[in-house]
This record gives sequence, structure tokens and C-alpha cells, in this order.
Amino acid sequence: MDWNADHAGFVVAAFALSFALIAGLVIYVVSRDARARKRLTQFQEAKK
Amino acid sequence: MQQFANPTRFLSLANRALPAIWAVTLILFAIGLYGALVSAPPDYQQGETVRIMFVHVPAAWLAMLVYTVMALASAVAIIFRHPLADVAAKAAAPIGAVFCFLALTTGSLWGKPMWGAWWVWDARLTSMFVLFLLYVGYIAIWQAIEEPNRAAMIARIVALVGFINIPIVKFSVDWWNSLHQPASVFKMGGPSIDPSILWPLLVMGLAYSFLFLALHLMSMRSEIAARKLRNLQIARSGEA
Repeated sequence: MDWNADHAGFVVAAFALSFALIAGLVIYVVSRDARARKRLTQFQEAKK
Repeated sequence: MQQFANPTRFLSLANRALPAIWAVTLILFAIGLYGALVSAPPDYQQGETVRIMFVHVPAAWLAMLVYTVMALASAVAIIFRHPLADVAAKAAAPIGAVFCFLALTTGSLWGKPMWGAWWVWDARLTSMFVLFLLYVGYIAIWQAIEEPNRAAMIARIVALVGFINIPIVKFSVDWWNSLHQPASVFKMGGPSIDPSILWPLLVMGLAYSFLFLALHLMSMRSEIAARKLRNLQIARSGEA
């Protein structure tokens, strides 16, 4: 990859946007999963 | 397949498979990014801009694949009443919406230097935008309707009716005069891309697919936990 080539900024923007959104999606899914399972565990323990 | 429709068996399988799926995803992304940014040569016409294809095309593939998964799961929910089918369709929607948004925006970032325009109302771009609206509409149904059975019924219909857009997206470049280039990987007679560019594209496609698999399993797991909690809360309020 020639970082000084014409339109290299568009390539950088496309990769940066892709990985920023993918990282955001991963964080959202992982945190939602952890929260949902924690709530269920807390409820089940409180019931006992 | 029938045995995995049981949520307990599904959770046990997902918990065991997820670490391996995440590991494969990371390895595929490392190899794919090396191929996309280091190994693949610049295109003789597009120059370095061709590298946008390595994030744009897999996102577009996955946007269509995820909607197909949603439509299949919705059909299974209607026909067989599988307990996990609605969970699978609902969990896939936000992931597919992000892939679709990425396909649109990275395509726009490619279009500006190559076509001289961020956006054109071309058949492929328009049908892809319609796909994004279908994702947003599907997610909105689950958010807007409080009664889960009613939400599921309407969501299934939207997923199945919206599936008609998938062949339109795929064949739009063949059916209409389009600024967007025609299919060059999945087509009759095999791919027309040079192997030096094809292999990183296929590896990135696999990396996105494994990423979807990992995120989908986790989303399904959290949806099952949320539904179980809701049922327990209802049962508890019934006891009181």
C-alpha cells in the first residue's frame, strides 16, 4: 500500500470506518450478552 | 438440526464453540488484512482505491447473507414453530444492519474518487439502501410492539416479504443498466479477478462470516437469557 498515492485517504477512511463500526458492534453485543446473563443469574440467586 | 432447537442444548454448544470461532475470526482478519493492505497489488486503473473493495464487498455479501438467514429463520418459525427461530432472526438483524450500513458508506467512499459522486440512484445502490431500510424497519417492529408474540408475527412477515429484495440486489447489475460493476466473483464461468486480489477478498469474506457467526451466537445467547428472565419475572408476579 502506497500511503502517499492519490485517494489513499479514501482507503484509510474506509478501513477506519469499517473497524470502528465493527469494534462498536462487538462491544455492544459482548456487553449486552454479559448484562443479560448477569441479570438472569442475579434473579435466579435472589429467588433461592 | 432438530436437537439444537432446544435452547439448553444450543447454549451448551454455543458456549463450547465460541472461543474457537473468535480465534478463527482473529486469525482470518490478520491474514486478510495482510493480503488486503500489503500483498495485493494496486489495480492498473483504480490504483490504491481498489483496496476499499476488501472491506466493501465482504460487508455487502454479509448484508445479503444475514437477511437471508433472517428470512429462513422466519420461515422456520412460521412452519415448524422452533423455539429458537425467532430468536435467531431477531438477534441477526442489528448485525446485518451494521454490515449493510458499512457496504453503503464504504461504497460511497469508493464512488467519490472513481465515479466523481458520493451517491447515485443506481439500481444496485438503491436496492442496497432499500435493504438497509428493511433492516431498520425489522428492528423497529421489535422495539415498538410490546407484546412479544405479536411483534414476532409481524417481524416474520416483514422478513419474508423483504426477502424479495435480495435477488433484486444480487441481479440488479444484470437486469438494469448500472454504473456499479457486474458480479466478478460469484458468477458463471468462475471469478474474473486476478488471484493476487481474489484470495485476500475471499479471506476477508470468511473473516466477516466468522465474525457474524460469533456475534450471532452471542446475541442469541443474550436474547435467550432476556426471554428466560422475562418469563421468570412473569411467573413470579403470578405467584405474588
